[in-house]
Amino acid sequence: MTNPVTSLIVFGIVVVLLFLLFYPKSGFYWRIKTSFKNDTKILIEDILKKLYHAEDNGNTLNSNDIINSLNSSPKKILETIAEMENKELISFENGDIKLNDLGMDYALRVIRVHRLWEKYLSEKTGFDKKDWHEIAEKMEHKLDSLQAKELAINLGNPRFDPHGDPIPTETGEVEPINGKPLPTFSEGTIGRIIHIEDEPEIIYKQILAEDLHIGSHIHIIENNEKRIIFHSEGEEFILAPIVANNITIFELQKEEISEENTFRLSKLKKNEHAKIIGISGECRGEIRRRLLDLGFVINTKIEVDLTSPMNNPRAYLVRDTSIAIRNEQAKFILIEKK
Amino acid sequence: MKTNKILNISNDLRWQIGEGFHDKLTEGIYSDAATIAQNSVQKKGDAKRFRFDRSLDKIVTSKVWGFPIMILILSVVLWLTIIGANYPSGLLSDLLIGNIYPWLKTIGESIGFPWWLSGFLFDGVYLALAWVIAVMLPPMAIFFPLFTLLEDFGYLPRVAFNLDHLFKKSGAHGKQALTMSMGFGCNAAGVIATRIIDSPRERLIAIITNNFSLCNGRWPTQILIASIFIGALVPENFAGAISTFAVISIALLGIFFTFMVSLFLSKTMLKGEVSSFTLELPPYRPPRFWKTIYTSLIDRTLIVLWRACVFAAPAGAVIWLISNVFIGDSNIANWMIIHLDGFGILLGLNGVILLAYIVAIPANEIVIPTILMLTVMSASITGVGSGNGVMFELDSINATGEILKAGGWTLLTAINLMLFSLLHNPCSTTIYTIYKETKSVKWTTVASILPIILGFIVCFIVAQVWRILM
Amino acid sequence: MQKVTNSACEGCELNQASNLKKLGVNIEDNNYVVALAGNPNTGKSTVFNALTGLKQHTGNWPGKTVTRAEGGYRYNEKKYKLVDLPGTYSLLSTSQDEEVARNFILFGKPDVTIIVVDASRLERNLNLVLQILEITDKAVLCLNLMDEAKRLEIEIDDRTLARDLGIPVVPTSARSKEGIPELLKIVHQVATGEIKCKPHRIKNVPKNINNAIEKLRLEIEKEYPNVPNSRWIALRLLDGDERIIEAVKTGEFITE
Ligand SMILES: Nc1nc2c(ncn2[C@@H]2O[C@H](COP(=O)(O)OP(=O)(O)O)[C@@H](O)[C@H]2O)c(=O)[nH]1
Ligand SMILES: [Mg+2]
Repeated sequence: MTNPVTSLIVFGIVVVLLFLLFYPKSGFYWRIKTSFKNDTKILIEDILKKLYHAEDNGNTLNSNDIINSLNSSPKKILETIAEMENKELISFENGDIKLNDLGMDYALRVIRVHRLWEKYLSEKTGFDKKDWHEIAEKMEHKLDSLQAKELAINLGNPRFDPHGDPIPTETGEVEPINGKPLPTFSEGTIGRIIHIEDEPEIIYKQILAEDLHIGSHIHIIENNEKRIIFHSEGEEFILAPIVANNITIFELQKEEISEENTFRLSKLKKNEHAKIIGISGECRGEIRRRLLDLGFVINTKIEVDLTSPMNNPRAYLVRDTSIAIRNEQAKFILIEKK
Repeated sequence: MKTNKILNISNDLRWQIGEGFHDKLTEGIYSDAATIAQNSVQKKGDAKRFRFDRSLDKIVTSKVWGFPIMILILSVVLWLTIIGANYPSGLLSDLLIGNIYPWLKTIGESIGFPWWLSGFLFDGVYLALAWVIAVMLPPMAIFFPLFTLLEDFGYLPRVAFNLDHLFKKSGAHGKQALTMSMGFGCNAAGVIATRIIDSPRERLIAIITNNFSLCNGRWPTQILIASIFIGALVPENFAGAISTFAVISIALLGIFFTFMVSLFLSKTMLKGEVSSFTLELPPYRPPRFWKTIYTSLIDRTLIVLWRACVFAAPAGAVIWLISNVFIGDSNIANWMIIHLDGFGILLGLNGVILLAYIVAIPANEIVIPTILMLTVMSASITGVGSGNGVMFELDSINATGEILKAGGWTLLTAINLMLFSLLHNPCSTTIYTIYKETKSVKWTTVASILPIILGFIVCFIVAQVWRILM
Repeated sequence: MQKVTNSACEGCELNQASNLKKLGVNIEDNNYVVALAGNPNTGKSTVFNALTGLKQHTGNWPGKTVTRAEGGYRYNEKKYKLVDLPGTYSLLSTSQDEEVARNFILFGKPDVTIIVVDASRLERNLNLVLQILEITDKAVLCLNLMDEAKRLEIEIDDRTLARDLGIPVVPTSARSKEGIPELLKIVHQVATGEIKCKPHRIKNVPKNINNAIEKLRLEIEKEYPNVPNSRWIALRLLDGDERIIEAVKTGEFITE
């Protein structure tokens, strides 16, 4: 019989090896797999996207900026930029890199796939919001325009991705976003969140943690260099300006403003009566349909029926039936208290 | 093409309408519904919910009573099943194995069956069937009707409601509490029961982890081994208590693995599957006792039993064949036992156990009789059993213990057998059911392989640590 | 709804019920196919069992019947095949049980669809009823669980309801077999065409959506004049239902 200590050690080594090999993303297996990919194409597309976003924001980039913002080797990046110039995707102007028409077209195609894919993930899969971007970053290099077209049709030719960014059309038209960053509005403004930027990731994660929803109405209470305070759906939010800057707001005129009395269903207390006024746009795909089918539709009376021993889920009385949903879903259902 | 034209027009229109078609349509239908209902429905009483329903719901979902009531009911059901099944199981086994089996053998003899034919048919196929029926039928015939009564009354959705929060933490669905409990009766039935879970991801999780619920086919194994080896560790007065405790620990360990594996699956393989949770709490309805018992017998018990029999019959044949077909000096069984022994010992088990689990994939019920037969055969014990390939069991727990100890069993073997009985591949009935429910080779494979890998790892580690410490 | 011929024997339902012969699973060469649809837990399987004499599992638990069950009965010299569909809240989503129910009503083309609803929750149940009436115009509303509705002191004027929906309405308590004879009779009359239905069509949709539906419906009817439920197909195409798009591509929906 083998010595137990030896066999445990051998076992341990095997486990560690497997772990190193297959650990998601950083495992050797995955690294080797990615390094075999056609990475010039990916690099070209990434550079095009950088340039597009910079131009969209009215900035310009030179070769150094690009080297700093991507994590390939500088040598490789410079070679690629040269190749792109050869292919007439880009041209130099006083050291700054500019997108040519050809490059612009190409960039828009990549962005179209990216945003379509995010839309797809949000509607048809159960991936978490915070994973969408990363998955779409990979897919954008994989689909050709025919596949993109098929995808778009399947999704019903959506105009906006789940973050509120416009999806470029097949012919390369992009709808403008007609809002401005949250910090640019003064106190007292009432507006609607129309876009939440998902890059950089650190800031996006902070916004996710706040649980803000695209489409929500907000009312700005305080706005200074230190912090921005606003109310939305019965809750108060406090953000640092740098975070708030990634949230785009569309100012609402007086007549468009719905009731101030809007709350999330998760905030409804026992014995309170309320009326449903809608389901947030953040609740998508199958879950949204399910909720609608179950009768969580506009103008329906609702009250809390039962609370489970651990407070979640809760059952609500909707159209004479007790239906239990989790608080995570209840917060997408907007109500007006009576 | 005509169809293309239609599709193109529809695409254009969709683009024009923009998003929200589905919302608008549903809202429209509901407002039509409201108008129609208003015209013809008159509510006189306080139409909210029936008083009795409401007060009962307040109690069964309350912070104080919700959990105790659930645990009490589950314990009573399991207790009734295990205790209540003892007597009819004994009767059935007396009848099928004690009386009919010898009778069949005599008949075979009198019409001149050659030894191999009567061995194959009666010692192999018939005995396996008899065992499965005797061990499986009584507990299922008690467990399923009880469960169905609870279901018809309307209590089960409340259980899902109470437990959802716990299950959500591991990425699963509250209704999995029920499919898990159903799994305590029979994993195949538990897998079928996952149909009540309407969210694809959570349903797959429930299917794959159902095997960690210790099923009726495995309770007797656990109880027998615990009373032989673990009960013997303490003075006789405590033997019953300690072995019960050991068996319950194994069942709890199963629940622990259910949660861990659910978590693992929802974080890895099932990450992108759609997930949603809604649960309608139906009104309580008094069940119709006899009708419920009748349908649950037909619907669940007999169907599952039938499937088990279909799989057990060939297994019996295989068991008999490997013990009676010789290659050179040794029969196939002995040959396999010798080759599996090294690996078995590494896991704190032995070759006999591994072989028993290989041939007993169809039904966990025949594991113990197979182990006994193989042990007697491979250790050349004389005086017990009835020959190669003839499964048997002994009335006396002590005598069974003697055989196993003669076969080289230690306390470690016993503990690891209990662990391995919890953590191994589902029986073939369940595997087949999983395939029928998922229609996917991939998920069926995962559900079959995952538990046995876990079983190997757990047994291996326990064995090594044991050997270092003892 | 209009009755083509007034049945000669209005008051003899009991007599009619004695014409019922439960056929269990013996469903070969049937004259009519009848589907049982409805929300989960409204008593479809109970109705199914009452008609066929089978013992389908009925559970007080939303979402029990997932695969469809079939059985048969004979009534007035005609053989009926009865199909118990999974309970669904709607036909608009894409979950597996809804597909089974929807595909059967749409492509299986039953001669009559019995829609079983919970009388004590009529309004919520009408959501599905109105959807089914968009697909088929041979339907009977089985207003089940009347005993529970009575207990809750809910009264339903079934004549008004029948007029508003444009289909016959039969109040039943399937568990105690009340109303089953009437149901059999009405199903028979709808199947044989004695009763013609004029089902309600969804009205309260916004203009732009309604226009789109109509436009697409006309287009479908222009290309395929014989498609019976063009409006429903238009509706589903606009909602991007992949199964229906597929059916349009393969031409499956025109097999009339
Ligand atoms: N009180 C009462 N209960 C009924 C009646 N019909 C069905 N039920 C009960 O309602 C529950 C659901 O019935 P089932 O036939 O399984 O509904 P399905 O899900 O629509 O097939 C069962 O517990 C039945 O016993 C009825 O007319 N009256
Ligand atoms: Mg049913």
